[in-house]
Amino acid sequence: MAIHILGIRHHGPGSARNVKAFLEANKPDIVLVEGPPEADEILSMATDTELKPPVAILCYQPDAPQHSSFYPFADFSPEWQAILYAKRNNIHVRFMDLPVCNLFPLRRPNPEEPSQDLSGKGSDTVNNVSEETTTEEEEQGITIQIKKDPVTYLAEAAGYDDGEKWWEHMFEHRIGNEEVFEAINEAMGTLRELLPEKEDRIEQAREAHMRKMIRQAEREMFQNIVVICGAWHAPALINMPSQKQDNDILKGLSKVKIDCTWIPWTYNRLSYTSGYGAGVFSPGWYEHVWQHPEDDGTLWMAKVAKLFRQKQMDTSVAHVIEAVRLAESLASLRQLPKAGLDELNEATLSVLCNGESILLSLVNRELVISDRLGQVPDTIPKPPLQVDIEKTQKRLRLPATADWKDYTLDLRKENDLERSILLHRLRLLNINWGQASASSGKGTFKEQWRLQWQPEFSIEIIEKGTYGNTTEEAAATFVEEQSAQATSLKVVCSLLEESIPAELPKAVEALIKQINTLAAASGDVIQLMEVVPGLVSVTRYGNVRKTDAELVSGIATSMITRICISLPAACTGIDDESATNLVGLLATLNDSVSLLQNEEVSRQWQQTLTTVAENNNTAAIIAGYATRLLADYKILEGEALVKAFYYAMSTASVPAAAAAWLEGFLKGSGTLLLLDNDIWNIVHQWIGQLEEESFTQVLPLLRRSVAEFTPAERRKLGEKAKTGNVTTIRARETDIDEERAMKGIPVILQLLGHNNN
Amino acid sequence: MSSILRQHAEDLYAQELEEIRKQDDEKKPTNWKLSPQAVVLYLVGGKLKNGFEVSPKYIGSKRLMEIAVATLTTDRALLLYGLPGTAKSWVSEHLAAAISGDSTLIIQGTAGTGEEAVRYGWNYAKLLAEGPSEKALVETPVMRAMKDGKIARIEELTRIGADVQDTLITILSEKTLPVPELNTEIQAVKGFNIIATANNRDKGVNELSSALKRRFNTVILPVPDSIDEEIDIVRRRVESFEKVMELPAEKPALQEIRRIVTIFRELRSGVTLDGKTKIKIPTGTLSTAEAISVVNNGLAMAAYFGDGQIKAADLAAGILGAVVKDPVQDKIVWQEYLETVVKPRDEWKDVYRACRDLPSM
Repeated sequence: MAIHILGIRHHGPGSARNVKAFLEANKPDIVLVEGPPEADEILSMATDTELKPPVAILCYQPDAPQHSSFYPFADFSPEWQAILYAKRNNIHVRFMDLPVCNLFPLRRPNPEEPSQDLSGKGSDTVNNVSEETTTEEEEQGITIQIKKDPVTYLAEAAGYDDGEKWWEHMFEHRIGNEEVFEAINEAMGTLRELLPEKEDRIEQAREAHMRKMIRQAEREMFQNIVVICGAWHAPALINMPSQKQDNDILKGLSKVKIDCTWIPWTYNRLSYTSGYGAGVFSPGWYEHVWQHPEDDGTLWMAKVAKLFRQKQMDTSVAHVIEAVRLAESLASLRQLPKAGLDELNEATLSVLCNGESILLSLVNRELVISDRLGQVPDTIPKPPLQVDIEKTQKRLRLPATADWKDYTLDLRKENDLERSILLHRLRLLNINWGQASASSGKGTFKEQWRLQWQPEFSIEIIEKGTYGNTTEEAAATFVEEQSAQATSLKVVCSLLEESIPAELPKAVEALIKQINTLAAASGDVIQLMEVVPGLVSVTRYGNVRKTDAELVSGIATSMITRICISLPAACTGIDDESATNLVGLLATLNDSVSLLQNEEVSRQWQQTLTTVAENNNTAAIIAGYATRLLADYKILEGEALVKAFYYAMSTASVPAAAAAWLEGFLKGSGTLLLLDNDIWNIVHQWIGQLEEESFTQVLPLLRRSVAEFTPAERRKLGEKAKTGNVTTIRARETDIDEERAMKGIPVILQLLGHNNN
Repeated sequence: MSSILRQHAEDLYAQELEEIRKQDDEKKPTNWKLSPQAVVLYLVGGKLKNGFEVSPKYIGSKRLMEIAVATLTTDRALLLYGLPGTAKSWVSEHLAAAISGDSTLIIQGTAGTGEEAVRYGWNYAKLLAEGPSEKALVETPVMRAMKDGKIARIEELTRIGADVQDTLITILSEKTLPVPELNTEIQAVKGFNIIATANNRDKGVNELSSALKRRFNTVILPVPDSIDEEIDIVRRRVESFEKVMELPAEKPALQEIRRIVTIFRELRSGVTLDGKTKIKIPTGTLSTAEAISVVNNGLAMAAYFGDGQIKAADLAAGILGAVVKDPVQDKIVWQEYLETVVKPRDEWKDVYRACRDLPSM
């Protein structure tokens, strides 16, 4: 009886080739593969012609689908090759990892802590588990950086700066494979001896379970057992501790119910860039190496050239020749036996892309990672997002029907509110089950929906399933992704608008952050001014539940600061239409500033208004309006205000500009004109001295300014203009004998209840 | 000490080159003074087997230097491309010094560079007196490099007119320089190659024709990767400047350099170092070379007009001058940066005040 332990690197084409060769040479009668035992049943589908890698086994808790694990396989994954070999030759194949039903409860106690099997790089090479407890992804990224990959120690000893590269050159790219598994086992054994044992319950349990499965296979009298596992685990499976010890470790593990299914996977999600712990940098390149192990770079370069030609970039055969030559001389300069992806990429960059890395990123996206999508048969079990949607539909009594049906939702009712939230979330996911129609004047608490279920929604659901297993999670992740890709403030703002009724606090937070980022990059003050009032009302009225009001107000203030800096310049040299538009924005922004009640911001705002009002180049209507706002703030009063008026109305200004200034100043209200006789005088005189031609010219402007006043104001203004005799008002004022008047004041004060001391 | 203001790389680093040569037992291409591996070592620095310390000439990616050297071992020419101030000429000088032991075969490209500066010219007195002959021929650096199997350098290749640029095509593809007037040609000796530099920020330059472009491998020299790398570069260069200028000022505090480099990096990349806040990017380039000159400027200010210790105020004017190249756009960018990024940083209060108090703000 023989047990062969084959330590591999997950998704390593060299490992896959070695495993395949080993199996064909040794002809085992059972193959044990690192993977979830629950998935043994669906393994039979592996040889289904409609199942095309990359695919993944999805294990999830049917009662809580957000707890799930993916086990991805590509064509060049050693495990996949082992499974295929076993199925084709009709021998037993079993998954031997710790069952997921035990694994989930083990992970649960510290949901905050990133699970260990993804943290160390050494274990990356080892664990083919992609965890989908989405919130942890960021933290995982961090721990990967902090913890040193154990393989790096070996790589450093061999003079490489990167463990990944060393492994690749040592094991994945070599053609000959004699005794490679012994070498790996020995290397890993030494590493495990030297590095302090990780006291990790999950790791221990997993290895214990793997040993248990090996023992079981021995008991079942299999003669030639081959075990495929991550290289890191290999030594632990060779040096078996006593059976009792393992049983102790495995004792008392709690269990949950688990469902398994195959789902299509993509190369993109297999790569590191998508945050999958045990991923590989270059799935597309690995596929190339898997299919063409003997390629010296020529074939690869030809592929690159083809891609460039497709994208309308001239690439000659001479280019390809030079690139291959450069890659080879780079390899020999670095004393490598063969040009690897690094050398080929550098040659591509230098020869084909003229040094522009932006073109290389095209190669990276299309070839190195590649956008290949796997395929699974139609007969497989349902994905968790679908299950979640169906469950919610049932709970909310909102059946999916092929015929359309109208609903009027009263958002004050719990059930209707939840229905609305569900529909909004599905819409965000592009699953347009419900069409919202304007509710006919029934108030904001009512929503009108027309629902019609389309069969193609299920495809959309499977596709969106990669974003999360519940509608909430998926919608939030999807919105976050869209917002990260968005380049215009408008898009993000409309997403924000849609996300608020969908109650996605996390997505809303991300959107707000994105708005901030875009605002910083945007040179367009107008855009910023359009966005700020909405943000301010969010902070003020908190209409987004659970949104961090502090965060939003911080962003709003910083945006106002940006506006204040660029506004004076934006008010100059614009045409009438944009100026009028800007006045409207100034008005709403002014309200927002008052609403914020932040002294610092108000001060800044008033300063900016002063700059705008005093700048000679500011469009007249804006200058007028800014002056008016300053008057409202009581920053410009009395003499100063009169001075500003005189200045704007002086004969040197073009009548049209003066009229525009007046329009800006009088925007919305003429009260000031009625009450302040000095100002009335100025305006009156100004109109009086206009020549006929100019008067005809400014008349429409003046009409327009006055048209917005209330009828009462208009009437009073008309009366005042008819009597028009401003001098009498002034004369009456000067008629007062000040000395005599002063004498009356103490009496009046006493009457008003003031003591004069 | 010699009174020459700036020495050639091969003279300044003669000792290092000699030590490396002694230890160098890798295979050397014909007419190369050092093996490719040794050239890379000379550029990026390191320790020789006998413990001799080689100073780094290029601080940055070793891989880029490897691509450059590997290119020169093939028969393709090398084009160093990048923003102004990213050490293109510096690298080209050191490459030529290490490979050929001679960095002086150089053509400065300008709009007025003619064909006779690239290929060959005539000594007209001799030409009239004796008729066309080899003796009447005036050699150019390229011609000499071809004859001796050395590296020729062309600075600012894109500034040279397109018609003149294209005279390089035959030289680069057939490695020969025909002289039809004498019915002869000069065939390049092994070891000949060309390193050209060009910058990608300038406008009004002559783009290389695609035929010529194809003869070059392009290496883009980037702005430094990490802040520490950049600080290291600035510190080294400023210290060597101090030595040359014999400035009485105290060594600049690392902290001041760090702040300048931080400001430059943040404005260059459009995001604060913590990655949290996005900021607008000014129109200028803000290369490491500019950071070096700001520190140098500040040093001189401190030495001659201040108390010898470099302070925020000594640097402020330099920073402003470097950042604000366009009086309207850049001023907004700078003010926004000052108000939203510099102001909230507690330990940067002096920088904020110094910059605010500048008259032009």
